[in-house]
Amino acid sequence: MTAGRALLIAAALLIAGNGWAGSEEFAPPLNVRVANDDTALAGDGIKISWSYAAGHKPPEGYRLAGFRVLVGEAKDELGAVDVVEGTAPRDLEVGNLVVGRNYWAQVEALYLPSEVVMTYDRQDPNQVTTPGLKVAAAEIVGPAQTVGRWYDPALTNVLVGVLLFSIITLVVLYVARRREMYIRPIAGLQAVDDAIGRATEMGRPILYISGLGGTGDVSTIAAMLVLGHLAHKTAPYGNRLVVPAIDSMVMATEREILSQAYLHAGHPEAYNAEDVFYVTDSQFGYATAVAGIMMRERPAVNFFMGYFAAESLVLAETGNMIDSLQIAGTDTDTQIPFFITACDYTLMGEELYAASAYLSRDPILLAQLKAQDIGKVLVGAVLIGGILATLVTTYLWQDGSSLVEQMLGWLKP
Amino acid sequence: MKMRGPIVVGFLTGAFLLVQFFVPHQSLKKIYEMLLDWGVVIGTFAIVLGLASLFRVHIDRIRQRRRGYGYSFVTLASFFVVAGIGLFKGMAPGGAFQWMFAWVQVPLDATVFSLLAFFMASAAYRSFRARSTEATILLIAAVIVILGRVPIGGEWTDGYLPRITEWMMIYPAVGAKRGIILGASLGAIAMALRIILGIERSHLGGE
Repeated sequence: MTAGRALLIAAALLIAGNGWAGSEEFAPPLNVRVANDDTALAGDGIKISWSYAAGHKPPEGYRLAGFRVLVGEAKDELGAVDVVEGTAPRDLEVGNLVVGRNYWAQVEALYLPSEVVMTYDRQDPNQVTTPGLKVAAAEIVGPAQTVGRWYDPALTNVLVGVLLFSIITLVVLYVARRREMYIRPIAGLQAVDDAIGRATEMGRPILYISGLGGTGDVSTIAAMLVLGHLAHKTAPYGNRLVVPAIDSMVMATEREILSQAYLHAGHPEAYNAEDVFYVTDSQFGYATAVAGIMMRERPAVNFFMGYFAAESLVLAETGNMIDSLQIAGTDTDTQIPFFITACDYTLMGEELYAASAYLSRDPILLAQLKAQDIGKVLVGAVLIGGILATLVTTYLWQDGSSLVEQMLGWLKP
Repeated sequence: MKMRGPIVVGFLTGAFLLVQFFVPHQSLKKIYEMLLDWGVVIGTFAIVLGLASLFRVHIDRIRQRRRGYGYSFVTLASFFVVAGIGLFKGMAPGGAFQWMFAWVQVPLDATVFSLLAFFMASAAYRSFRARSTEATILLIAAVIVILGRVPIGGEWTDGYLPRITEWMMIYPAVGAKRGIILGASLGAIAMALRIILGIERSHLGGE
């Protein structure tokens, strides 16, 4: 090989490696690739990558300002989807596409006169309006098909937990059909019959508040289920059940639940649609209105079931002032202390969800409470195991110091 | 049949929503979004029912001159004024609608919220009387936390009380909260299973 020929090959390799090195043209992006975006599990995304010739010098008076990415289902239907400022090569994820379709992509290098800032169309931010713009488009690449996933691996732990708990529930249901199971007593629910008796004797209404949640909240659904049972129990005695609602959809649902409950209890005449009414969707407006109802109607019993926020104490303390018997149930951990201090009975967390089953006294439904308890024991065992493992590895194995010493050291100011 | 229909609909909807939670595929997401849209449409109709209920309750109260019927006048008048301004004058920033929100609604909300301080004091007075073991523990914990949160608590105890307070707030309190959340989550799953499988029927009138 002659020296001249070797020099020629070296120059060719240099050009191939650096693309447009040394040339003074509007160079298009290099190595443009389009593929399905594996991170878009819904199958609505593609990933476009490109690079740019290192060391390429744009023509005098121009600079490389950025790249514009165009995507379309056909080569002649490409539309700009993004403008990326800067010169670094990168990947771009394009979303909101349709699963199972083929997409073509093109990347354009945008050159602007030096010292000129890129400006965009106000109506379409993917259109650059800077005067003097020069565009160098790479070849259209593709197609890449969007592929959706039918399983999200990140949710495996949730799936395992749900399946495990569902299996426990179903097994307990199976066992419950064959033999009676002991269910721990829940004081707040045992007091419901007494509460109804109190209202009957006093001839005063029962006030039922199903919280701030809408029909999409699971605690509100639990509260509405309890309301159905309560209606069943009160129907024979003709107790008035006053149900002010913060959400019109909850109100409509509660009306339907009550009318069905009274009908099935054999007392359709006891149902009064006017006692289930919409108040307002303002949190404190609702609290004030309910407090006013309490002061005027003097209910014998107040039920607070569902999701509550800061208004919980306003409601519970007002009920306390008028000496109503109060039974609360919520899964809102921040409000439980307020209900405990101001109410006679409080259902905490899962007891709210157990209430409907408990009130029904149906052995099959009651069996689910057993499943909940088994689930809690399992979760507790996993937590204790995790805590022990963490303590052993953190405090004993790593530096050999005693756990008690560590704790005392932490408490020192 | 009257009960079986809703149970079947409940089962199909519940099972689909459960499955789609684990399936990220766009086709299921689209159906999920469509169901959400249906919920919005139903909710919109429910607003009309809510308004009808509001009017009926307050008009009846005024007509029957029931106790506190004057408040019903205020409620209806407020409704018509606010709705009228919103409809005819718009809700642009700086307008009458926003003015009413900023200078009537917000101060009223803040007033009711501030009443909580007094309600808390009366509730705390009742609860912190050491009449039982639990109440005594509550009282001791409350005294430690209250003193640990004010400067004098730290001064008196050479800085130990704020640290103990911090420890109580971070560990026992959070532990208890998480226990409640875990239990509530299991309860919610159990209740959802009951409804999906049609075992729970109290919302359909059954007991």
